[in-house]
Amino acid sequence: MNGWILAATAVLGAGVGATVWGVATGPLRRRVVAQNLSTALACPALLLLAQGYDRPAYVDLALVLALLGPVGTLVFARLLAGELAGDPPRARALTRSAAGLGAGVVLALCVAVGPSRALLKLLVVGVLLVGGNLLASRALSGGMAGARRG
Amino acid sequence: MNPRTRLWLVATGGAGLAALLVAACLRLPRFGGDRHPYGDRAVHASLERHTANTVASVNFDQRAFDTLGEMTILFAAVLGCVVLLRQTRDEHRAHPEPADVARPVRRYALLVLPVALLTGLYVVAHGQLSPGGGFQGGVVAATALHVLYLGADYRALERVRPVGAYEVGDALATSAYLVTGVAGLIGGTAFLANTLLPYGTFNTLSSGGTVPLLNAAVGMEVACAVVVLLAGFLDQAVEIVDEGEDDDRAGDGHHHEERGK
Amino acid sequence: MGEAVIVVALLLVAVSATAAVAVRDPVRQSLVLAVLGVVLAVLFTVLQAPDVALSQLAVGSALTPLLLLLTVRKVKRRGRRRRENEP
Repeated sequence: MNGWILAATAVLGAGVGATVWGVATGPLRRRVVAQNLSTALACPALLLLAQGYDRPAYVDLALVLALLGPVGTLVFARLLAGELAGDPPRARALTRSAAGLGAGVVLALCVAVGPSRALLKLLVVGVLLVGGNLLASRALSGGMAGARRG
Repeated sequence: MNPRTRLWLVATGGAGLAALLVAACLRLPRFGGDRHPYGDRAVHASLERHTANTVASVNFDQRAFDTLGEMTILFAAVLGCVVLLRQTRDEHRAHPEPADVARPVRRYALLVLPVALLTGLYVVAHGQLSPGGGFQGGVVAATALHVLYLGADYRALERVRPVGAYEVGDALATSAYLVTGVAGLIGGTAFLANTLLPYGTFNTLSSGGTVPLLNAAVGMEVACAVVVLLAGFLDQAVEIVDEGEDDDRAGDGHHHEERGK
Repeated sequence: MGEAVIVVALLLVAVSATAAVAVRDPVRQSLVLAVLGVVLAVLFTVLQAPDVALSQLAVGSALTPLLLLLTVRKVKRRGRRRRENEP
């Protein structure tokens, strides 16, 4: 077991574990935030695992999650807009720290990989992950208010 | 055949199957080891045919007939959904309302749509090299289109999604898989046998013989099937209202369109 | 020691799958189901089955929630109409 897998285990146990607890209990506004954070945290974990197992092809998993995870949150933001309008979720600090963690992991992996095509792919995943999750969080807290019935 | 004989027949067959299963279980390789006779043979066969991803080789070469069955299941399931979710006589169609989505969300959707579409194609095309393949890539590509519904509104999605064309694409892709199989029968040795094309250079896009072709057929089939499936669900949730249903928007000056069937 | 990450992934799947069964409201259930999909994908990855993990991510992260929530929306609209029509 190397440092990368250890780091992935920590992110999974502490971060994703907390989001599992967050999505299973509490009001709806907390659950949607937990769902968004679960993809924001699992994606860096998948990147760390790819590096830890020394399998560059596993980065594809993180790429698909970075693309479709925020899209999934947009599904909830769009179709639950009516329910969330009266009680909008506010989790700016949490979302930002998850985004920071994602960016940190991507940077560390970029340094480890060095200049190559893999680096480019990592950067794409990083941009999609951080941008997507910040935007999905924005959509949850009112970005879809004008689309309650369509 | 009277019920008694039938029961005996089932009991005999069942007992025989159970005995064979128990006999097979007793000779299974030990649980949890890193060597496995079937795994070793599958990896050997996939390397022989220059397919870097053994899972793709198992799915689209060594057990391509199984995949044909799975593909047919998806095809039949989507067909069933289309029949169940069709517009019935006592339902009519209301025009979907334009949605007012915040500008950053709209921009994000327009950015993600092409990226996700490209990723779907990439996953399909690299099925024989890295994790992924027709099914995964097809789902990603089909999901990509529906970002338009999330980031704009249903009318924007309907503009890029003529359902009829996707239904035709679904059927064509299923036939393409069958045709590739029959071509193996005519030009090679057996149905779906991977003897038709050169195996190519290991770990390049064109390696693996017919594996990339079958991957592409499955990718197209899955993408079209998911689009048609979601179209059924979206129509029901957004457009189709029951006869006499006092929808929230009925009073907003939106006209209803009757479509007799 | 190398199995720690497998144990963590298994625990996450066990907890979220139990939660998906225990939660009764379909809307909240679909949220739990989305998270369950992600942790299942992680489990498949640590068990070295990336093809399965990719299938799970493709289907579970956006497609399943969309199908579920569209169904809930249709059923709710119909239920509201029934209630309004009752004397």
